[in-house]
Amino acid sequence: MTDRTPTPLHVDELGVRLGSEAVLRDVSLEVSAGTTLAIIGHSGCGKTTLLRAIAGLLPLSAGRITLGAQRVDAMPPQRRGIVYLNQEPLLFPHLNVFENIAFGLRLRHQSDSIIRERVSELLVQLELDGLARRSPQALSGGQRQRAAFGRALIVAPSLLLLDEPFSSLDPQTRLSMQRLFKEVTHARGITALFVTHDLKESLRMGDRFAMLHGGRLQHYPDRRAFCADPATGVAREASFWGDLAKAVAVTPPVSDSSDA
Amino acid sequence: MRRGLAVFVALALLLPLALLLMLSLARQWMWPALLPEQWQLRLWRDLLSDTAGIGSAVGRSVLMAVGVGIAATALGFPTSRQVARHRRRGRLLALIHLPYALSPVVLGVSLLYMFLKWHLAGHMAGVMLAQLVFAYAYAVILLSGFWNAHTDGLVDLARTLGAERRQVWWRVLVPMAMPMLSVCLFQTFLISWFDYPLTLLIGSGQVQTLTIRLFEYFSSGDIRLAASCAVLLMLPPLLALLVNHRLLSHSAAPHPDTLDD
Repeated sequence: MTDRTPTPLHVDELGVRLGSEAVLRDVSLEVSAGTTLAIIGHSGCGKTTLLRAIAGLLPLSAGRITLGAQRVDAMPPQRRGIVYLNQEPLLFPHLNVFENIAFGLRLRHQSDSIIRERVSELLVQLELDGLARRSPQALSGGQRQRAAFGRALIVAPSLLLLDEPFSSLDPQTRLSMQRLFKEVTHARGITALFVTHDLKESLRMGDRFAMLHGGRLQHYPDRRAFCADPATGVAREASFWGDLAKAVAVTPPVSDSSDA
Repeated sequence: MRRGLAVFVALALLLPLALLLMLSLARQWMWPALLPEQWQLRLWRDLLSDTAGIGSAVGRSVLMAVGVGIAATALGFPTSRQVARHRRRGRLLALIHLPYALSPVVLGVSLLYMFLKWHLAGHMAGVMLAQLVFAYAYAVILLSGFWNAHTDGLVDLARTLGAERRQVWWRVLVPMAMPMLSVCLFQTFLISWFDYPLTLLIGSGQVQTLTIRLFEYFSSGDIRLAASCAVLLMLPPLLALLVNHRLLSHSAAPHPDTLDD
């Protein structure tokens, strides 16, 4: 199995209805090959619905999805070459770490030697070497997320959909996972859509930025425009930290009583 | 304390079996003797040489119970998924409980009317079909507990990783559900293995299972032969229970090296 060349994503006027409610309306977006589009939005704004619709896990009420030169919206999920990574690092509980990562290759009936070689390579890259035979229940949250990431990478997806994948991790592990994700996706030229409600995370992960609000998607031409829009809340957050930094700077340090 | 409880449970389970075994081996056992005064192997020799037709009854019982267990589990698993995903899940589950709301005798009588018309009464296949009504309903009820949002999430994930529908079943769902499936197989095996009223009614005396023979010996007053049959009746479930226990304890084994970041 060879790695795929980076593939651009085009979504045109996508709509999704859940029952009688229109959850997404006229959503259009473009992600250049090998880049990450970070989408922020509050809980319940339709971020997960958007990713599930692109993955083929929810039916569209309108719109088109094109991956590279191929229209994929009529294809079943297993033929799209799009891997969806959930908020929870869902590992198959009956398989160990090695077999979880190898899952996609086993489905494609790859030989044992290729599977061994490719899984071992990923285990090293994701700092999971030594944990290959461990069951998912015996892993920490960060290790589980790395294994889930490896399982997605091994099938060389044309598009990676990440649904707040680091939200359940502690701040330190989260930061290291964000770095790892950035390094690996850049090194492998993976096109990705990353949704989060965390501003800092979106700024760290994205090459381009958008905001989902009320079922509609707002695009920003660059990072500066994203930060400048009051609706994103970046300016408010920056102001909070700026004020705090000033307050810390003007407050005299507490002196030791022995000096008196 | 724990050890004492374990000994008590073991004794409560094993004492009846030991009593039956002693009854089947006793030539003379008069009250108030605690143990038989004289022993014999004649009954077991007769049983094993199949002069009383017990061997064929055992074979028939095993065949029927294994068949019913496999069919109920194999049909119940996909059905339970359909039920769990149905928008009227609650109503469907209530409907599936219906065989249990009726007494097996009532169900047997109503089935007998249809089975007589279909020429299934008095045949092993007819009895198995009647037992399957109970066992299938049981399997669907038991296995509907397997399906939840977590299972759905794993199915979606497997599909985006490239799994075709068949691969989702064989590479994800069946292995994940294996502990529950083995419990289901065991329980539905027992539904058939211990069944008396349906076999009596639908079998119309033509389908001789071990349970039927046991009741015959018991009503004819041959308590020693009935005890031998009872021992035979208890052996396969005990064996299946041991295998099942191993499977379950293996799947539920704690992971000693759970790590923190």
